[in-house]
Amino acid sequence: MKRMRLTIAILLALAMILGACQGSQKPAQTQAPATEETTLVVWDQFYRDVESQVMDTLNAEFEAAHPGVKIERVVKTLDDLKVTLKLALSEANGPDVAQVNQGRSDMGAMVEAGLLLPLDSYLAKYNWGSVFSTSVASRNSFTPDGKTFGQGNLYGVSPTAEVVGVYYNKTMFKKNGWEVPQTFEEFEALLAKIKESGQTPISFGSLDGWNAIHEFSAIQHLLVSLDYINNLTYGVNNVSFKTEENIKAAAILQQWAKAGYFTEGYPGIGYDDSNALFKAGNGAMTITGSWLAGELINDTDQEFGFFLMPPFEGKKALAIGGVGIPFAIRKTSTKADLAAEYLNWMISPRAAELWAKAGMLPAMALPEGADIDTDNLFGDTLRAWDAINKGNAVGHYIDWATPTFYDTLVAELQKLLGSISTPEDFVSAVQKDYEAYLSK
Amino acid sequence: MRSNQAYPGENKWKGWLYLLPGFLIYLGFTFYPILETVRTSFYEWNGFSARRDWIGLQNYRVMFYDAQFTNAFLHNLIFILFFCVLPVLLGLLLASLLTRKTLPGMTFFRTVLFLPQVISMVVVGVIWRWIFNPQFGPLNILLKAVGLGSLTRAWLGDFALALPAVGSVGTWVQYGFCMILFLAGMQHISEEYYEASSLDGANAFQQFLHITIPGLRAEIGVALVTTIIAALRVFDLVYVTTRGGPGNATLVVGFLIYRSAFQQNRIGYASAVATVLMIIILAISLLIRRLQNGNEEAKE
Repeated sequence: MKRMRLTIAILLALAMILGACQGSQKPAQTQAPATEETTLVVWDQFYRDVESQVMDTLNAEFEAAHPGVKIERVVKTLDDLKVTLKLALSEANGPDVAQVNQGRSDMGAMVEAGLLLPLDSYLAKYNWGSVFSTSVASRNSFTPDGKTFGQGNLYGVSPTAEVVGVYYNKTMFKKNGWEVPQTFEEFEALLAKIKESGQTPISFGSLDGWNAIHEFSAIQHLLVSLDYINNLTYGVNNVSFKTEENIKAAAILQQWAKAGYFTEGYPGIGYDDSNALFKAGNGAMTITGSWLAGELINDTDQEFGFFLMPPFEGKKALAIGGVGIPFAIRKTSTKADLAAEYLNWMISPRAAELWAKAGMLPAMALPEGADIDTDNLFGDTLRAWDAINKGNAVGHYIDWATPTFYDTLVAELQKLLGSISTPEDFVSAVQKDYEAYLSK
Repeated sequence: MRSNQAYPGENKWKGWLYLLPGFLIYLGFTFYPILETVRTSFYEWNGFSARRDWIGLQNYRVMFYDAQFTNAFLHNLIFILFFCVLPVLLGLLLASLLTRKTLPGMTFFRTVLFLPQVISMVVVGVIWRWIFNPQFGPLNILLKAVGLGSLTRAWLGDFALALPAVGSVGTWVQYGFCMILFLAGMQHISEEYYEASSLDGANAFQQFLHITIPGLRAEIGVALVTTIIAALRVFDLVYVTTRGGPGNATLVVGFLIYRSAFQQNRIGYASAVATVLMIIILAISLLIRRLQNGNEEAKE
């Protein structure tokens, strides 16, 4: 009798283990019909305070407009999202909607693996062509084999726009009588002047690495043509990274580091920390993207403004920019139509209004008569985006170019900044990575 | 005498059944993933596409010529100094200090000294990233306050100092474990040895060298194995503090595996590196066990 009980206990334990294994393999069979509760799982990376509130509001309003629909929101940092999303999307019960980073190693690889739903039928259904231009759409497009970037099917829609430029501390500028520079020459003169006054010209921290790419590329965009940056990013027409312009941009960046224009100890400071320092009034300017504007409006006694990196005398300048990380739909999602409805809501005029109110650039036009104050930092970024969008001067994030470009650029830029390598070494090392990719 | 025999009527195999659940879990969650990693190392695969191409030993060949792998492995070897040698020495010192005389509040000191070991590595990383911050980190503030302002650095961003800085965090985490291990070991060393030797005129240092150290042979062996493994497989600490930077100055094998697998979608290559790392760790652990057993036999 005693043995019987034991055997039963062991069998039960085994059954539980096996049951647990099985449960995770099968897709949930007891999915509620649409009339009852339907849950839409959404993964996004709007983790900063202000952004997160906008998402919560949009989700709540979507739920209110669709009785029986529940949004299950999962927030991650971009790094976290990048690592976990690929596996999650290949699962039968993964997120229905997720933000997918643009570029080859993310969206491209996922398209190749058949994880994302082509959105072209919804593009027609919801008339998204009137919401965003084809040049914007191409940044979220790949051929179905995931090989060619910039053409083919649409795989995502972006709610926000981004432009990389210069934030400046207006309070500090006013107090010291500094003027917003109109040319790059004036900009460099200003850097020297601020340094002389004993303050930090550019708030910066390179410990996390990625923002060093923006620092370099913002200068690079003043020197190269739109064709060049398009070719480089989409990997067509065999351009080289080893060009005079790139060497010059690297030399300028290194010169700034040597001259002490960056925050003291910048190699040991992370991105968020350097922004916190800037917000607290430490540093006259900082070079980063429009996504920071929302954070700089609230909880601070300083007033901030934004301008595009000014052009070299007599030269046309590009600016790093584009649309933000797009929302995409998992190919195997059983709720694709509802998910598309959600995507449509994410790029609605109401979303534009909420993003604008939070100080973030919407990718879509603001509704007529929206009550939004543009006489401030947000207005500055809005005008900057407008200028490059209309002037056909929207550049690229160059780390999209190859799957290893991000890691290579970060490591090589840290060496360049630390004067471990020369500008020539820098472009050679990056070109080696680029060549290896093109020759595949 | 009857340990190998079953009681009359008792099933001889029942004992094995008790092991079965644990064994199944081990098979499913440890052994199978290891096998799968070794298998994947012979393929070129991006991690989620249905296509994987058999390329034989190509990944291992690439790794052999990969300057970053050599560089990363060298950093792991340097970490052995910080994760293993220093903590063991510190642990011995603290353990002998804490056992020599019973002072009031001894439990308090033991607990406080052991505390770093209990904190999750990610939290440790965040704490030290703040301590090392050049602008508002306590380390530089302290240096300035005592008039050593010239010594302040961007610790984690300095090409020469980033590796020792991260390494010393490893020392901070590991010494508590060594100390507790040695404290426990010292309870087993008979008081009589110390009495007899002091009658013969041995001083404290001689006692330490000839009684305490030999008495702790087994514990030192365990400490060496676990801390060397920690030094070789470190990932989380580097991920949180420096991400392998500046340049590749703090790149370690664990981070190289992560970067190849999850940022560059080279699962095959990452698996090959992981396989080699596993073999190296196994070899070193076996070697230490060997040396330890050899010592024991020589003694007896």
